Amino acid sequence: MTNSPATISSKLMAALRHAPAIAAAGMVAYAIADGGYIVTVVGFGLIYTIFVAGLNIFMGYAGQTSFGQNAFAAIGAYASAVLTATYGWPPLLAALAGIVATAICAFVIGYPTLRLKGHYLAMATLAIGLIIYEVAVQWQSVTNGYMGISGIPALGIGHYELLSDRAQLIFLAIMAVLSLAASWLLRHSRFGRALVALSGSEDAARALGINVRQYKLTAFIISAIYASISGTLFVHIVGFISPEMIGMNMVILAFTMLYVGGIGTTTGPLIGAIVIGLLPESIRSFKDYQDLVYGAALILILIYAPGGIASLDQVVKKLLRTKAPAKEVAP
Amino acid sequence: MLDLSFLGQTILNGLSVGCIYGLIGIGFCVIYNASGIVNFAQGAFVMLGGMITYVLVSLNVPLILAAAITIICVALVGVIIERIVVRPLWDRKATMFVMILATLAAQIVIERATLIVVGDQPKSLPVFTDLPPLRLFGIAIGYQTLWIFGTSIVLIIALGLFFQKTLVGRAMRACAINREAAALQGIQVSHMLALSFALSAGLGAIAGILVTPTQFTAFNVGTPFAISGFIAAIVGGFGRPFGAFLGGLTLGLAQALAVYSLGSGLKNMAALSVLLLFLFLRPSGILGSAK
Repeated sequence: MTNSPATISSKLMAALRHAPAIAAAGMVAYAIADGGYIVTVVGFGLIYTIFVAGLNIFMGYAGQTSFGQNAFAAIGAYASAVLTATYGWPPLLAALAGIVATAICAFVIGYPTLRLKGHYLAMATLAIGLIIYEVAVQWQSVTNGYMGISGIPALGIGHYELLSDRAQLIFLAIMAVLSLAASWLLRHSRFGRALVALSGSEDAARALGINVRQYKLTAFIISAIYASISGTLFVHIVGFISPEMIGMNMVILAFTMLYVGGIGTTTGPLIGAIVIGLLPESIRSFKDYQDLVYGAALILILIYAPGGIASLDQVVKKLLRTKAPAKEVAP
Repeated sequence: MLDLSFLGQTILNGLSVGCIYGLIGIGFCVIYNASGIVNFAQGAFVMLGGMITYVLVSLNVPLILAAAITIICVALVGVIIERIVVRPLWDRKATMFVMILATLAAQIVIERATLIVVGDQPKSLPVFTDLPPLRLFGIAIGYQTLWIFGTSIVLIIALGLFFQKTLVGRAMRACAINREAAALQGIQVSHMLALSFALSAGLGAIAGILVTPTQFTAFNVGTPFAISGFIAAIVGGFGRPFGAFLGGLTLGLAQALAVYSLGSGLKNMAALSVLLLFLFLRPSGILGSAK
């Protein structure tokens, strides 16, 4: 009995706060060691980690709305697919071209769109996602319509190609860690603090000398670049892209992951993507019900646990507080 | 000369589908006025309208009866969404974005449940009056088009009377102007929320039933219809039900002309471009925003 109950619970809280992220990282390590079928599942989760991390910067940190991030994943994915499979570019160069194209598109789209607020912004971004989907379907000479593009080579430089599943997974894990680290650095920089400030109140942020429009646009472009990278990684790992892969269900899936993991937290995207990625594998014949379950889960989380898994420690804290209010009051 | 009648035909078809967009747009406005919520599950009502009627008709229920049952069922679905999705979030003072995301998720859930129950094949309904189309100056006017125009006009008049003359309708308008003040006058604002969902779902269902014989319905037609309805509402000035109907006609016309001059593949892109143009240049719509 050397520890007082308060320190035990605060240590427990600290452990709880990091437990989900550690468990998710453990899952990735297990997949790398195991090397079996789980590699595909976790790889998918890691690609989505990057996509959701980008979404998190724009929505979690800056508090903005975008239902059209699939557009930027699509631009990255199709740029990589067309340039490598049709024109024979090396993957790295194609990926860079895709990122530059996405950044330019994000600037051109974001400049007028981000002036909008509330449901206008929501609907405008939703429309942008749908327009890109329509372009992917209709621009047959480039995108091959509904049939999609296949025969996309694996990632690699020169003669070194990432062919084995395990090598690909390690590469994806490195990319995911880098993107989360970048997100963390961003959050704790002057820029990140400005985003959090403007998410609280744009007027107050402006009064503090923050150029609100410029910061929002920059956050939008950064999150678009994250989406583009995830799109590129996806086509090179899967080797195929079609419009169905970048439709509305991608947006709902990403939001479910973001909210399960915890919106606004740095590791939330990883937790959410791994948990939601593993879900279909734990329930047999789940595939038919996949989107239905994601949608229902998203509604439940939005209502009952808007902080997601990353806020588990706070939920527990709240429970303890309601059970033992006296402890919290004591100085 | 032939080309001119084809243009007339295009305009007529555009206006007819525009009525449908307008009805959906009114649905958006009714909920928005009562609560300030933009219900992104609006398209699900349209899809369910066509789909439930199809299921009932294929069970040999007469069309009129099937339509009536469907409208009641879909209105109930609207109330259920209000009860289990919107109300809990409303009580927790969720942000606007969370509300949009939740209703969008509700749309996906309904869509996928429909897919599991009826499959992914497109379904259609027989036309209401099975007669050859009327011919006027070389333009074929199908009876379904007349049904769409007629029903829309009757609904608009009925809604106008409802909002102007009845106590409930006036209470809903009071909520739209100022919810707190309305509550102080003894209006049950939360009842108005449920009622607005029922009304809006019923309108969506009617739109879905009317449009299905001219096109088809499938589990995934909801989102495009919802977007078109939303565009109609924005073009008309958000929160103005009759503006939304005008907006629907404008959108239907613009879309038909885009298809006429650029090809049918661009139908959705034309609608979305109208949306973005209005959002960027005149977000308060043709008539100006209601608020």
